Formats: sequence, C-alpha cells, structure tokens
Amino acid sequence: MHRLDPRSKLVLSIVCASVSMMFMDIIPLLMVFICLLPMIAAAKSLGRWATSMKGLGALLVFVLVFNTLLSPMEHPFSYSLSLAIRLVALMTSFSLFFLTVQPDQLSQALIQMRVKFEFAFAMSMAMRYVPTLGQEAYAIMDAQRARGVELDKGNLIKRIRNIIPIIVPLIIVSIRRALSIAESMESRGFGANENRTYMEMLRFKKRDWAVVLASLLMLSLTIYVRFFAGLPGWMLWGLPF
Amino acid sequence: MIILEDVHYSYDGVYTALRGISLQIDDGERLAVIGANGAGKTTMMKHMNGLLRPQKGRVILDGQDTKYMSVAEIARAVGLVFQNPDHQLFLDSVKKEVEFGLRNLGFTESEAEQKRQKTMVNLGLEGFTERSPFTLSGGERKRVALASVLSTEPRFLALDEPTIGQDAHQKSLLAQMLTEMNKRGRTVAVVTHDIEFVIENFPRTIAMADGQIIADGSTSMVLSNDEVIERCALALPQMTLAARALRNVFPEVGQRLTLLSELEETIMGILGGA
Repeated sequence: MHRLDPRSKLVLSIVCASVSMMFMDIIPLLMVFICLLPMIAAAKSLGRWATSMKGLGALLVFVLVFNTLLSPMEHPFSYSLSLAIRLVALMTSFSLFFLTVQPDQLSQALIQMRVKFEFAFAMSMAMRYVPTLGQEAYAIMDAQRARGVELDKGNLIKRIRNIIPIIVPLIIVSIRRALSIAESMESRGFGANENRTYMEMLRFKKRDWAVVLASLLMLSLTIYVRFFAGLPGWMLWGLPF
Repeated sequence: MIILEDVHYSYDGVYTALRGISLQIDDGERLAVIGANGAGKTTMMKHMNGLLRPQKGRVILDGQDTKYMSVAEIARAVGLVFQNPDHQLFLDSVKKEVEFGLRNLGFTESEAEQKRQKTMVNLGLEGFTERSPFTLSGGERKRVALASVLSTEPRFLALDEPTIGQDAHQKSLLAQMLTEMNKRGRTVAVVTHDIEFVIENFPRTIAMADGQIIADGSTSMVLSNDEVIERCALALPQMTLAARALRNVFPEVGQRLTLLSELEETIMGILGGA
C-alpha cells in the first residue's frame, strides 16, 4: 500500500468516498466499509486508523442521537445508523490516502499533477505545522493557568470567555511564525529559480495502473447499479424502527 | 517552603525528563537553577506550581501535598513566568495585561492599579501603559510578561529564563527588583544560562544534568566544581578565569573565587603583602 504512487491512491480514495456517498442503506454501506478495512490493514495502519476513529466517536454519537430524535423519516434509527456508517466509510476512504502518503510525497504528486509549486509547498507546510500548533496551544494553556486562569471551572459563558486568553496568543504566535518562516525562506533563496528540478520523480508503475483501473471499474459498476439497475431487494433492508 | 521528594517525570512515558529530584526551598531564599539544554529545568519548575504532576514522588507546598490542590490555588502562592512571553500576552494594552493577573487573584481596582504602576516603574515600562503588547519589541514583551506575574507578588516566584533578550541595564533593573522582593520575604527561583547573572544575584545554585540534580549549594561552591561546568555546558565565568590566571602566579589565590569583591580583596591582599 505504501509503495503505490500517491496519485493512484488518490483515485482509489476518491472512488471509495464517492461510492459511499451514493448509497443510503445499511447493507451496501457496510459492504463498502468491509471492503475498505483490508486495505487499511494492508497498509499496516489499523492502529492509527482506530485512533482517528475514536476521535470521531463523539460526532458519531451526536449524529445518531440527533437524527433519531429529529428526523422525519419512517425509520429514524435505521436511517441515522446508515448515516453514521456512511460517515465512517467516508472517513476511512480518506484515511486510506492520508495515513499512507507522506507530506512531501503529496506535494510532489500535486506538482506532477501540474499544480504550481508554491501552492503544493504551501499545502505540505500547512500539514507540517498542525502538530506544532497543538504543542503551542498546550504551552499557552500552561502559561495562562500559571497566571490564575481557571480553564475548567465556571458556567458555560465563563468557559467560552476563557478561550480568549488561549486563542489570541495562538493566532499572534502563528502570524509571527509565518512571517519569520517567510523571511527565512526568502533569505535562503526560495523562489529564486523559475524551474525547479526534483531529486525524486513519481512514476506510475503497472500496479498503479491496476489500482486506477480497478477503482474506475468499481465506480462505473456502482453508478450502473445505483442509477440504472437499482439495488436488489435484500440490500434495501433496514431496521424496523 | 517547597519540598520535592524523589520526583520522577517522563513525557509520554518515553522521554524521561526527571529521574528522582529531591530538594527543599526555604522561605526567603534566592536561588538559581542551571543546566544544559534538556536537563529538565523547566520540567522541574512546572512541578512547583502544579502544571505537571509527579509520576512518582511528591511535591509539598507549605506542608500540603500539591496533589490535592488545583493549579489556580497553587498560583496564588507560586508565580511562574515562562520563557516565551507571546504565550501569555493577549490583551490590547500593557496596562490591562499587567492588571489581568491581579484581577484573577481578586485584588480590588485601586490595589491592582497601585501594584501595576509600581511594577511597571520598577521594570522600566512607564512609557508603555497604553501601548499594545504586540507592537513592542521582543525584550519589551518579555518585561511585560514578567510584570504581569511580578505585580501579584506571589510568595514564591519562579522565572524561566528571565534575562533573554535583555540588555545589561534592563538586567540590572530586574535583578534589583528581584532582590527587593526577596528582602520583603519573597522566595525567588530562576532558571537561566546567564552565569554572570547568577553569580551577582543568587547565593544558592542548583545544577541539573540528565534529569538529576548534580550539585546543590552555595553559588561559589557549585560554580567552582569542574564536573558542574562540564556537564552543564557552561562557559567558565570571567571571574573564575581571572582567578585561575592569578593563581598561576600567586599560589595563595583561593580555589573558590567567583565574586568581583572577593577577587578585589585577594588582589589587595597580595598587593598589600608585597
């Protein structure tokens, strides 16, 4: 999985995501999900995938509860369950891409897809700085707690107001850092040369073509089933409540 | 009084930052913590006001285990100023920023106003009252951050690298203020790489390396220990270099010279004897 060209993985992810977008019933969505799992396993990323799914847990519960309570559908629970599965399947398809592609591979892929280097670079920089921002946020929380800000006390309004001492320094620090990164990049000659050359170029191999072909085949098959043939009856089964 | 008893701490269970720190800081002391980068100095300071909790061992503040206290409670007694001022400044004027801590701790309007003014004069910030902290230079922001904690006059004051980016004049203003607060009974602890600052202002020094305390005692004793100099990656203080050079000529020059006054005395002694 890791050795595939990022571009073929991108096609695969997008196809999986769009397939899960096309169905609204429990069985086909579960089938998509079950197809995705071995792919994540093949990428040896099950552990990291599980962590990200845990993060999604709260949102899933939210989706389940609110849709069940508020949906005007005939079988609200069945409907919201399929919504939740769809969300998981969607996330999993994108995890397939983001868990197995390194940031510099991603920017290289973008460049070779004729995206301008500056944009590709900005994107990989953005990904690179997400964890840094997290660390910064913790440091700021520590600094404010040391000044007597009680972050986890008080009513809702007080808690929301307590975010201000965290978020303002975070923004300021980020802007300062962005400026200094820009300056240091320019002083090291960023953008001095019009045509960049690259040490490693991505190449499509046979297996990449195979992946792309299989994905497209699957896509056309599902489109055919969804719009022209219709799903067989047993796939439309839903929970009776 | 703060007591650390065999404190262990590791980040994420992987990187061990503290391996068994034991120390006692009495009320009214003035001490410096030195050590190479990554020795665990900041981690230790964060234990003193409860931002980090020991994974093994205890931290005792005035006879009470801090395990049962919240950070805000501890913050009334222990003030900690961090290295990076940008992590705490968020209001639109220096005045509000300095008063923020005072308000948190429940001082009245007039008390807060008075304490703020005094601190700002003491730190050379008089002219900046209405300025936005974000338009100030790095060194000035650092002083605003210091002022915001110093103004609350906590009984125990811990400063992480307070002299970074300060010129000699500002440094001596800061030293003066710390000494004054110390005279009024406050305990002052600083983490620093600035050896001259330590020698001139702190009678006690704790040297750390690899998450352990390798020396703890009077500054002149700790700083004349060669193991400390090496493991803390220090450049020898100028006074010590001068003393060593002198010792080559006059064997009567002592082993533990660090203060300018001591060196003066010795030279006068030699000259008087000659």
